[in-house]
Amino acid sequence: MPDASRRRLNRVLPRALDDTRDCHTGVLRSRPSRVLPLMGLPLMRLWPCVLLLACGCRVNRPPNDHAATQTLYSSMGSDPGTFNPILVTDSASADAIGDLFEGLVKQNPKTNLIEPDLASTWTLGPDGRTITFHLRHDVRWSDGVPFTAADVLFTLRVIFDPNVPNSISFALTIDGSPITAEAPDPYTVVMHLKRPFAPLMSSIQFPIIPAHTLSHAYSSGQFNRTWGIDTPPAQLVSLGAYRIVRYVPGQQIAFRRYADYWMHDPNGGRLPRLHGQVLLINTDANSRYLQFVAGLTDVYSPRPEEVFTLEQQAARLGITIAPVGIDTGSLFFAFNRNPRHYIHNGVIDPRYKWFTDINFVRALAHAVDKQGMINLCFRGLAIPAVSDVSPENKLYYNPNLKDYDYNLALAAHLLDEAGYKLRDGVRYDPAGHRVEFELTTTAGDEALRGEMCVIFKQDLEKLGIKVDYRPQEFISLVKRLEKSFDWDCMLMGFTGSLEPNDGANFLRSSGNLHLWNPSEPTPATPWEAEIDRLLDEGAAVMDPQARAPYYWRIQEILHDQLPIIETVRARRFIAYKNSLQNYVPTVWGLYRPEMIEFRAD
Amino acid sequence: MSALPRTLEPAFAEERRDRGALAREWRLMRWPARASLVMLVIFYLFAAASPLIAPYDPVRQYRDLPDCPPMALHLTRGADRVHGWLFAYPLKMVDPLARRFVPDLSRKTYLRFFYRGHLFTTEDASTPYFLMGSEGLGRDLFSRIVYGARVSMCIGLVGVLISFSLGLFVGAFSGYVGGRIDNLIMRWCEIEMSLPQFYFLLALAAVIPSGVSTVTSFFLIVAIMSFISWASFARVIRGMAAAIRAEPFVVAGRALGGSRARILARHVIPAMLGFAAINASLSIPGYMLGESALSLLGLGIQEPAASWGNLLSQAMDPQNIEHYPWVLLPGLFLSLAVMAFNFLGDHLRDRLAPGNLR
Repeated sequence: MPDASRRRLNRVLPRALDDTRDCHTGVLRSRPSRVLPLMGLPLMRLWPCVLLLACGCRVNRPPNDHAATQTLYSSMGSDPGTFNPILVTDSASADAIGDLFEGLVKQNPKTNLIEPDLASTWTLGPDGRTITFHLRHDVRWSDGVPFTAADVLFTLRVIFDPNVPNSISFALTIDGSPITAEAPDPYTVVMHLKRPFAPLMSSIQFPIIPAHTLSHAYSSGQFNRTWGIDTPPAQLVSLGAYRIVRYVPGQQIAFRRYADYWMHDPNGGRLPRLHGQVLLINTDANSRYLQFVAGLTDVYSPRPEEVFTLEQQAARLGITIAPVGIDTGSLFFAFNRNPRHYIHNGVIDPRYKWFTDINFVRALAHAVDKQGMINLCFRGLAIPAVSDVSPENKLYYNPNLKDYDYNLALAAHLLDEAGYKLRDGVRYDPAGHRVEFELTTTAGDEALRGEMCVIFKQDLEKLGIKVDYRPQEFISLVKRLEKSFDWDCMLMGFTGSLEPNDGANFLRSSGNLHLWNPSEPTPATPWEAEIDRLLDEGAAVMDPQARAPYYWRIQEILHDQLPIIETVRARRFIAYKNSLQNYVPTVWGLYRPEMIEFRAD
Repeated sequence: MSALPRTLEPAFAEERRDRGALAREWRLMRWPARASLVMLVIFYLFAAASPLIAPYDPVRQYRDLPDCPPMALHLTRGADRVHGWLFAYPLKMVDPLARRFVPDLSRKTYLRFFYRGHLFTTEDASTPYFLMGSEGLGRDLFSRIVYGARVSMCIGLVGVLISFSLGLFVGAFSGYVGGRIDNLIMRWCEIEMSLPQFYFLLALAAVIPSGVSTVTSFFLIVAIMSFISWASFARVIRGMAAAIRAEPFVVAGRALGGSRARILARHVIPAMLGFAAINASLSIPGYMLGESALSLLGLGIQEPAASWGNLLSQAMDPQNIEHYPWVLLPGLFLSLAVMAFNFLGDHLRDRLAPGNLR
């Protein structure tokens, strides 16, 4: 179900940068260079949708052919980057192939329990260090070859290969060493862990790839180039509910259900119930909305300003707008604390001193007008965020944190006390430098983050701090975050997941998304060392209730040391046609997507 | 019948010459040109005196009044006149989702004219009167339009100034000198003209260094844009210059021993100035539209600075057009200005056409 409501926490696990707020996928989201209108006049930008509206409704499409053909139409914002499930780094690719591959187990988005997928049962060894998976016998790859333990072992080997860049290995590495596995018989996999590892069942949901098709490419060193988007869809050997039948770049991906899919309806009949899906590719958010209103797509996750309009027209359009819950990711201002960017030849940039000065950052935390952002940017459809864990994650969300209230007078007072004095409306640091830095976020048709930045900038300028606001393309921002470290302050988003250890690549001082100072060789501060220690200890405790305090403490440290200032968390909505049956969106993903079907009229 | 007024016309003109050149020019304009001139004067007044004309700070966010509709004005009656002649009921947002506002009938905000250095404003800036509504962050749209005129109205002037002075001198030189130099310059112009301008601009917008203010970076882009577009103008001028070269007055100048620079500056270029002026006024709108296209795409003037183009980017969302149609107002100003330049250019062309100069 490649729609935005589905959180792919069972696909790619570590925390990832979240580009747009309608991104629900657990992966890095890229955006291709936008298609430019011919002249840039506002109407020119809309003419494709006008055309679509015109031909879509009147000529080509009888109103109910989606139902007649049992084909679900949805839209997404960009083309996929790859069809290789191990190499996926962006949400569009994850959406495109999410239904093609499956893992050993999966997480039920409603109950949050781990359920069987390709493994029918599993047993944990008495010492907690071995786990035995018994695989299903009735699963076949789309080329007719049976699915066996060899595929699982091959997938693990690929994931842990340092030459294969992937984000899965991070969540599967225990104290620096990989998981080892063996197959006593073709339908049994035994995994050996270095020590008991609580996040294992959540991390083990990675997609399995076919050994018989890909092992040749892998052994010849070609794996990173296999199954790119230029691969004919028929060559993708998969075992999931759907297969890709057609991919037209920039237009659509068409799916047909897999004839030999292992899952069957308990009442008889084939699964999935939908016969096919079409994923329309449309880079413009406004025209994705118009597509839904025109009936060209069946499901849509509306932006806050669209919720009201859709609700008003719900009866006329025959749609339901369902509140899904609170966003599971987080959206925050981060400050660069990276000495590699600010210290050169012993000369320390004053910005480094400000951003590592806890009094300075705390004062700025009091200058974030969360309620204003909620009213202006989210139309009231958001709540203030205090922790990087969403309140939807009931077990691991720390409810005891007290927010930094929006209070510019207090912020000014704190700055004064810390030695940042105001002279003629301009704020100077104790060494006499003017306080001035750059603020950036993702540019694009997503106006929301830009508006939040403008609000923050306005308040900082009231404090005498000069802010140079400069939005950038998402990809260029990611490069700055990961490679050049050339940024001061940034409004960024992260995807969230139920398993708190999935955020290790962000929380750990050695993590690649430890934004303010990535990949530290050793923890730069005592509190970062403490977070590292808490992560190790928390992962070793098996009882979820007993684990929670470790992650509560991590949230407390982050809240106290403020490497990131949390902003707000949106309330999510999903709009879908009333003719869809069994469509159960949850904040963690779709519940039993294989049961979805159109009502037979 | 028709012959009569025509023969009479010059006589009238002679009679009224004493009224001054400006008045005469005004009288020679037809109504579209007159209206255009008035409109442009108003818009340039916006640009020159924006702090005076704008009632509020264009970046001040009234965070409790986002997407607020234009407010109705009421006439004051009775003894309340001491506060002012016009008043509005302050609006209050009752539903942030639907952006529904209700007037607070118990309070009145009076409009004050020539008050605290503004043409009109309210007594207390914290209870604003929105003439043209507010945009998504609660900023006064009218104030932003007034300040946006600074960018939008000046961009064309700057661009035209650069490209036409370059084009005029290079073209005139090339055409007058002729020969191999002429050939070289013209081939160079052709190369420049073959660059896809808009994509070139997008690339330039991406490489402008960080640290310069957005307005500076934008004027940089315009400068670069005009450094490309001078070429086509230079080609036309070159053709004219090559023709003028053979005119008796130029030949006479040469025969009298005038230097090449002197003949160019005193005789050749002045002969083409009229044509240049017409072309300039007709190409200003191109720059204005170019600015709005770039700003609309988020590559031109950046928030919170305002230009008509980036104000219009709010209207890219069909939601906004449906519920807050006033976000289209900057587009109205933009098209009025573009139209005005075109009408004025038309008038100039008629006016400066050979035989019409009196």
